[in-house]
Amino acid sequence: MSGGSARSLGKGSAPPGQVPEGLIRVYSMRFCPFAKRTLLVLKAKGIGHEVININLKNKPEWFFKKNPFGLVPVLENSQGQVIYESAITCEYLDEAYPGKKLLPDDPYEKACQKMVFELFSKVPPLLLSFLRRQNKEDCSGLKEELHKEFSKLEEVLTNKKTTFFGGSSLSMIDYLIWPWFEWLVALELNEYVNHTPNLKLWMEAMMKDPAVSSLFIDPKAFRGFLDLYLQNNLEACDYGL
Amino acid sequence: VTDDATRTLGKGSAPPGPVPEGLIRLYSMRFCPYAHRTRLVLQAKGIRHEVININLRNKPEWYFTKHPFGKIPVLENSKCQLIYESVIACEYLDDAYPGRKLYPCDSYERARQKMLLDLFYKILGYQNTVFFGGDCISMIDYLFWPWFERLDVYGIADCVNHTPALRLWIAAMKQDPTVCALLIDKNIFLGFLNLYFQNNPDAFDYGLSC
Repeated sequence: MSGGSARSLGKGSAPPGQVPEGLIRVYSMRFCPFAKRTLLVLKAKGIGHEVININLKNKPEWFFKKNPFGLVPVLENSQGQVIYESAITCEYLDEAYPGKKLLPDDPYEKACQKMVFELFSKVPPLLLSFLRRQNKEDCSGLKEELHKEFSKLEEVLTNKKTTFFGGSSLSMIDYLIWPWFEWLVALELNEYVNHTPNLKLWMEAMMKDPAVSSLFIDPKAFRGFLDLYLQNNLEACDYGL
Repeated sequence: VTDDATRTLGKGSAPPGPVPEGLIRLYSMRFCPYAHRTRLVLQAKGIRHEVININLRNKPEWYFTKHPFGKIPVLENSKCQLIYESVIACEYLDDAYPGRKLYPCDSYERARQKMLLDLFYKILGYQNTVFFGGDCISMIDYLFWPWFERLDVYGIADCVNHTPALRLWIAAMKQDPTVCALLIDKNIFLGFLNLYFQNNPDAFDYGLSC
C-alpha cells in the first residue's frame, strides 16, 4: 500500500492524477480517527488501495473538488466516483468489494449495528473536548460524561453476552468505534474503562485483530501530532516523518 | 382517513399485546416528520402493519421498554425485535421485506443517497446562529424559506423536539416584515393544492375575488 506514511499534500500542491484501474484511492490523514475507520475496512477486506494524506491545517484547493466539506476520509475510484463521510465509505467498501462481509446479511442484525453506532455518537466530540482541556481546566464534568457514554456501550456487551459488538466475531461496528479507543491506549488512559469490564475485554480482543494491530497508531507520534494540532500548527499532520 | 388515524396512548394506558404474526407494528405520531418517513416506506412497499400513536407529552410508562428515551418512530415485529431511529427503521424495512427496493442496488448510488441525507442534516445543523447566515436574516434564509413556509402549513412545528433550532428559525422568519408581507394564507394554499392535484386549471386563481 503506497502513501500511508507519506507527507501530506497542502495548499499549492498539484492535484493528483487519475486513480489507476484496480485500485481505490483514499484521501486520509495519519492521525484522523474517522479516516482510520476506512483504512481498517480496506485492510480487513484486503482491498488494493493507495493513500494520499491531506494537510488538514493547510488544505489544498483541489481537495474541495473531491469533498466540498474539505474533510477526510474521501474515497475515489478509477471511474472518478467520489464517496465521503467515514461511515458511508465503510459501508460502500463492504458492498462494492467481495470477500468477507463486515456488515451482517440479516436485516435486524444490521439494524442493531447501526443502533449501536448511534449510541456511540457522543464519544468522538466528548473525547476531543476532553483532550483539548486536559491539564488546562477542570474536566471532571467531561470525565463523568465519558463514563456515562462508556456505560451505554458496556450495557450492549453485557446484554449480548458476546465479546464483540456484533456477536462472537469482529465486524463492522467494532471497526467503526475502535479508533477512539485506540486513542485511549495510545495516551495511556485505559483506566477510563476500569468501570466497564466488558468494554475493557473488548479492547484487548481488538488489539489482537490483524488489521487493528498492523494499523496501530504510534503513541509517540500521536502525542507529538496532538500537541501541534491543538496549537493549529501547519506541521502537525506530518509529525514524525 | 389514513390507517394511523387513532387516538394516542398516554400515561396509564395498558401496554399493547404482542405483535401478531404477519404484521409489523409502528409506534408513531401523526404529525411527526421522522415517523412520517417510516410510514412512507411501509406504504411504498405495501407492508402490512399496525400503527400505535403515542402521546409525546404524556408518554405511557410501558413505552420506555420500547425505546429508552421514549422517542418515535419505533418498529416492533412479531419476534419482539425493536428497531429505532427513523433512517435505520426505513433501511430495515427495505432490507427485510420483498418487493420494490427503495434504495438503489448499485453500491455507489446507495452511497450517493446517504451522502445527500447527510447534507440534509448538515443544512439543519449548520445553524449555530438563529438565521442560516448569522444573527440577521440574509439571502440564504430567503432562499430556503419558500419550502419551509409550505411545510409549515402542515404543522411540523407541533412535532417532536428533534429540530429546535429549525423551529426557532421558522418562528424568527415569521417575524421578518418581508416574509410576513408575502406569507401565503394557509387555507388559500390548501385550497390551491387541492385543485392543483385534481389538475383543475382554476387552481391558480383560487382565493382571488373576481
